[in-house]
Amino acid sequence: MGRLALTYEDRLNLLRETKLRQTREKLAQRGYMDGDDHGCIAVVDGFRFEPVANRADGAFAGFAGWGLNFRRLFEVHPTYVDPVDALAGRWMVHLGSYRAFGWPPELDYPHLREEQERYGIISGIGAAQHFGPDRRIGLTLGWGGLLEKIRRCRAAHGPDKAAFYDAEENVVVGIQAWIRRHVEAIGETASRETRPELQANLREMAEANDWIVSDPPRTLREACQWIAWFHMASRTYNGDGAGDQLDELLRPYYERDIAEGRIDDEDAIFILACLLLNDPQYYQIGGPAPDGRDQTTRISFLILEAAHRMRIPCNLTIRVHDGLDPELYRKGVRHLLEDGKGWPRFSGDKGLTEGFIRAGHSAELARRRIAVGCHWMAIPGIEYTMNDCVKINAAKVFDVAFWDMMGGDPCSLSRAECAGGGEPDVARERAGVRASAEPPSTARLWRLFTDHMRQAVLCTAKGIDFHLAHQKDNHPELLINLLCQGPLEQGLDASDGGVELYNMCVDGSGLATAADSFGALEQRVEQERVLTWDEIAQHMRTDYQAPGGERVRLMMKTAGRYGHGGSLGDAWAVRISRMFTEAVRERPTPGGRAMIPGWFSWSSTIPMGKAVGATPNGRRAGAPISHGANPDPGFRKDGAPTAMAKAIAAIQPGYGNTAPIQLELDPGVARDAEAVEKIGQLIRGHFDLGGTLFNINILDAETLRAAHRNPAAYPDLVVRVTGFTAYFASLSPEFRQLVVDRLIEE
Amino acid sequence: MTGLVADIQRFSLHDGPGIRTTVFLKGCNLRCFWCHNPETLLPRPQLQVNTERCIGCGACVEACPHGAHAAGPEGKTFRRDLCRACGACARHCYADGLRLVGRQVTAEQVVAEVAEDAAFYGSEGGITLSGGEPLSQKDFSAAILAGCRAAGIRTAVETNLAYEWERLEALLPLIDLVMFDIKAIEPELHRRGTGTTNVRVLDNARRLARMRLPLIARTPVVPGYNDSVAEVGAIAQFLGTLDGLLRYELLPYHPLGTAKCASLGIEDRAKGLVPPGTACMDRLAAAARAHGLEPRVAGGRRSEDG
Repeated sequence: MGRLALTYEDRLNLLRETKLRQTREKLAQRGYMDGDDHGCIAVVDGFRFEPVANRADGAFAGFAGWGLNFRRLFEVHPTYVDPVDALAGRWMVHLGSYRAFGWPPELDYPHLREEQERYGIISGIGAAQHFGPDRRIGLTLGWGGLLEKIRRCRAAHGPDKAAFYDAEENVVVGIQAWIRRHVEAIGETASRETRPELQANLREMAEANDWIVSDPPRTLREACQWIAWFHMASRTYNGDGAGDQLDELLRPYYERDIAEGRIDDEDAIFILACLLLNDPQYYQIGGPAPDGRDQTTRISFLILEAAHRMRIPCNLTIRVHDGLDPELYRKGVRHLLEDGKGWPRFSGDKGLTEGFIRAGHSAELARRRIAVGCHWMAIPGIEYTMNDCVKINAAKVFDVAFWDMMGGDPCSLSRAECAGGGEPDVARERAGVRASAEPPSTARLWRLFTDHMRQAVLCTAKGIDFHLAHQKDNHPELLINLLCQGPLEQGLDASDGGVELYNMCVDGSGLATAADSFGALEQRVEQERVLTWDEIAQHMRTDYQAPGGERVRLMMKTAGRYGHGGSLGDAWAVRISRMFTEAVRERPTPGGRAMIPGWFSWSSTIPMGKAVGATPNGRRAGAPISHGANPDPGFRKDGAPTAMAKAIAAIQPGYGNTAPIQLELDPGVARDAEAVEKIGQLIRGHFDLGGTLFNINILDAETLRAAHRNPAAYPDLVVRVTGFTAYFASLSPEFRQLVVDRLIEE
Repeated sequence: MTGLVADIQRFSLHDGPGIRTTVFLKGCNLRCFWCHNPETLLPRPQLQVNTERCIGCGACVEACPHGAHAAGPEGKTFRRDLCRACGACARHCYADGLRLVGRQVTAEQVVAEVAEDAAFYGSEGGITLSGGEPLSQKDFSAAILAGCRAAGIRTAVETNLAYEWERLEALLPLIDLVMFDIKAIEPELHRRGTGTTNVRVLDNARRLARMRLPLIARTPVVPGYNDSVAEVGAIAQFLGTLDGLLRYELLPYHPLGTAKCASLGIEDRAKGLVPPGTACMDRLAAAARAHGLEPRVAGGRRSEDG
């Protein structure tokens, strides 16, 4: 009667409140989540799913196990309809959580374990997804077209591929069934809905979903709903959150809708906001097309606007190149500073494209390679990468090399053991000193470090081969296969040779820890001679807790640091990165797969650090290692981001993968009248120098400290943790401490 | 050509347009009681002592050739009257409890450090020569500015305009932007706050304006001193007569100098001053607007309304 119709703004507010409530529910149900915020909801009361085993030990694996259980899961998976949403559906569980193992026990790899542990290698064996689907394939065919393609391709192969095609059919049929149940659920919701504007919305929602059960989408709404179904299914399957070039993907639908008068820009923004709400996939906007032209169009701006109005965690990346629309760039920087939610991120075309060309590929292919994950680069649909799954802990390798030289076991001393120190001779005995003719020196340490790193890389390479050889029998990529060129045609899993390109992402972690350690040793022991090798070793053994230890710790901590500019730490960081890059690039894996190096630690700095003893840079035993490619906090008295940006640009491996800069800025910086120009210049400068990915948080130190003490009082504080954004309140206390420490150097 | 530098700060956002590197020279001919860089006033090295960071290792006691540091029954003591600011103790202090401010460097070294951020200056950023008062080391300043010019780096100078015109005039060919302070119009008020009258300051400002150089004028707003509508209005009225003024900035006092005075062992003449609140700054900005200026209130943390 006198009621005002809900506006889009009203609806977004309601959707946001719902999401915050759902986040609290998830937190209550499953505790802290030290990973991305996802668009999933808490497990619905009373939901039960019992997988069917296809193994004697009661587990499921391989094509048959995953395909059948995926279909069965979606036959009972709850539907989700929110009348104010433009899109239907929310995902809830990971199918993988119904398995007792991530890797079948009979496929263990004892021949690799010792070295993996020694060098702190995260092998990636059993890691799923982390490469990019090409949504255009799905949008062109629709689910019905994909099913038809599966059947057509099956006919071209023998019965040996039957299991593969059965599984893929099960996946598509399962998704279609889930969508159909939503069409019914939407109808039920509509019958109870009294508000006319929402009745209309539900009608459109039902029609759109009814169409896309089988047919390819025709409109922007149908395309966004189709994409949402794919990513909900893919998330459920194995957590896949890879994005795509969203503006180019949706442009044809948007332009057609506008031209035919179906929607206006406000409608488009609302639909896009609902897509971003459904799940914060890693979408790229702007950037060069294969022929170098800028891909920015009107919808690129609408996507930014949609994210701005949605005000939730979001993982948009703008690809910065010389031809980038300056207005899109400005709008992106402005939202980063004014919205203060850690998006968008910015990727550096020059460094990325030149790098991938250096890796032996064409410029066109290099431009198609986009930012689709935390720090991931992949060409949608044709490249398998294991992005962010494989890590070598350079701080651990340093630890091994150092004690190899000095005599003793790396990280044999926990903090508890260290407290109270002990007589030097006793400690040496305990550590098992080995006498050596050559005296310790940074030159000798470097040789040992290099040798050990090469060992670590070889072990890593073998692990990758092992994964590639067996992954399809463990956990095939049934969802992403559908949106790739090759797997369906050949009947081969993407992990098993089904796609054209294999560029295995191998990251180093702990660069600053290693570089500053080398630098501090060279400066204090060799140049200034204020410390001997035995003395520093002894202090490390006692975790700097013995008399005089704190002074030595500070002495080492204040030596020339990576990030300072022109320091020994800087020189060592470049040297380490060059050596690591060479070691990773000099030969493919024994199985013939190319590897591409990067520097990234995701959120693993805490567990990685637990495995490393005290290091010569003044880091205590078991403390987190340095973060990604970043210098450790305190690298310069003025903490200048320009110095940081320059230092990180200088250590880029330069073969097309990223070594991101992670920068925290005080909101005062964002309030400056020329903030957009200045921060814009900072980002561009980093990319001109060869940088690849720029992540920025606008964080107030006081707010952060307060939120750390009482997270529940700050439920919508969003931070970019590493490559991903998350609600601060959802992170574990240890993790929150990491973010706080990065911002505030005590 | 060498000179005495207090600090070089990269990524300065509040010392001119764009991203800048600010070079703080030592030595100043004024003595503003609110100065937040008191370590830059004297033209010689000085020792900053931050006792709260001391870890009690005793290395400074061993290192000091003049007996200024001593270990006693109640802990470590420091006799500033015995200190020669030689820096030996600071070199041995890794806790940053002792810091020698003021190092002799060549102009080339300064330019090299400034050039480190060349990729980030764009069309607006560059070097800002500041202090202290850069004109107190006029030849050193000239060499730095010339070096930056040769390297294609844009130059800006923050000056109190209290030196004779000829000193500034000689440097002008090397300067792209001049930033200067007007602390007070009322002559006795100016003398009380800074130690000298403002006759030369205002005269130099007029001469600069006649030369059509890009200018940025600023007023540090100090509570109880010049934070009145009348005073800021008078300043704005004066500035309104100058051509070439790019903008006028009101800089709220902040108490950064207090801890520094303590570490230098000098009297904190701004003790107890509280930063002006937003309401006060709004009033003063309105007073400036009334004289045709569009003032910018410098950012940073919001303080209590006052």
